[in-house]
Amino acid sequence: MARKDSTPSVATYADHEVITPPHELRKAVALVADVNDDPVARAEAALAQLSDEFAGWMHAECERLEAARQELKRAGFTEKTHDALFRAAHDIKGEAATFGYPAIGIVAHCLCRLLEHTPDVTHIPLALVEQHVDAIRAIAREHGRTDFAAVVDALTRRLREVTDEFLRAENTDRPEHLEAIFTPPLAPGTNGK
Amino acid sequence: MVRVNFNRLRFLIIDDNGHMRRIMRSLLHGYGSREVYEAEDGAGGLEAFTHYGPDIVITDWVMPIFDGLELTQMIRQPGANANPFVPIIMLTGYSEKKRVVGARDAGITEFLAKPISATALYERILNLVANPRPFIKTKTFFGPDRRRNVNPNYVGPERRKGGKADVIRQQPLLDKVLG
Repeated sequence: MARKDSTPSVATYADHEVITPPHELRKAVALVADVNDDPVARAEAALAQLSDEFAGWMHAECERLEAARQELKRAGFTEKTHDALFRAAHDIKGEAATFGYPAIGIVAHCLCRLLEHTPDVTHIPLALVEQHVDAIRAIAREHGRTDFAAVVDALTRRLREVTDEFLRAENTDRPEHLEAIFTPPLAPGTNGK
Repeated sequence: MVRVNFNRLRFLIIDDNGHMRRIMRSLLHGYGSREVYEAEDGAGGLEAFTHYGPDIVITDWVMPIFDGLELTQMIRQPGANANPFVPIIMLTGYSEKKRVVGARDAGITEFLAKPISATALYERILNLVANPRPFIKTKTFFGPDRRRNVNPNYVGPERRKGGKADVIRQQPLLDKVLG
């Protein structure tokens, strides 16, 4: 489908140009008479309709993570096994809270940090990776158990402590990197905003 | 009351995770959008971008073949495709400062960290529609103006040379509509 040709205005300065493209999204500005119509509420309702599938999706993501763990155990840390494990953990990190498993998102985030910020991944203890994967699977399995909350809290906190300690030791000669690892997230959206 | 008419917008979602694509599609349909296209990696995304000519691209960062950052850089190549100015929302599991800055410097228009929320996504889209930013082209950058605000507390040299272009003020479109 071809886009309509349109010419942006360009102002040239000493070391840069300021280009004002035609504002093609202007077509989507609408005056709405019904003030009770809330598109965000409609979107949330649409998401709620999907929620029956979330447990199955969480299970599928856990199985993908488990497969990546098994391949890592079989082949050791290679670019391929590291990549597969990181992608699986990274996807879980992004999805788990939406699926209703926020604690799993925290553990997956911790595993991502371990995989991303260790300069030589062959130094990563396999046991630490396994503890993260096992924790994710256990939290998914016991989802809904109210008596499990304190255990989950202690588990996620301990995994974070051990991982932080390991990352500090592995990055002692990279202080600038160390600072980046332990700086709180900046991104908009991390608080649902 | 001014709103975004999603029925007038064509979206392209690029994410290698099928679950996330389903979620995004549901949200966009919930807002009222009807034209939502999908691709599952950077290469497919670039092809779909060329084919469908979306109004807004929503891309993941971590993807096979080439990632969302590389895809953004390809789209932002002046002259390389029909619309290097297309608004791009980077929707990613990354949230670290280094990543946000990297995405901005690659030319994304909005950054949104997962987990996704209907409110946060709507606000990003509303911002694209209501507050368009000019593009800046230098030897090393081509993308939406990275200066969203004037910081009165900034202390340091002015990095842009050329007088009046140092601060570019853009009247929000919604103000124009309401005014």
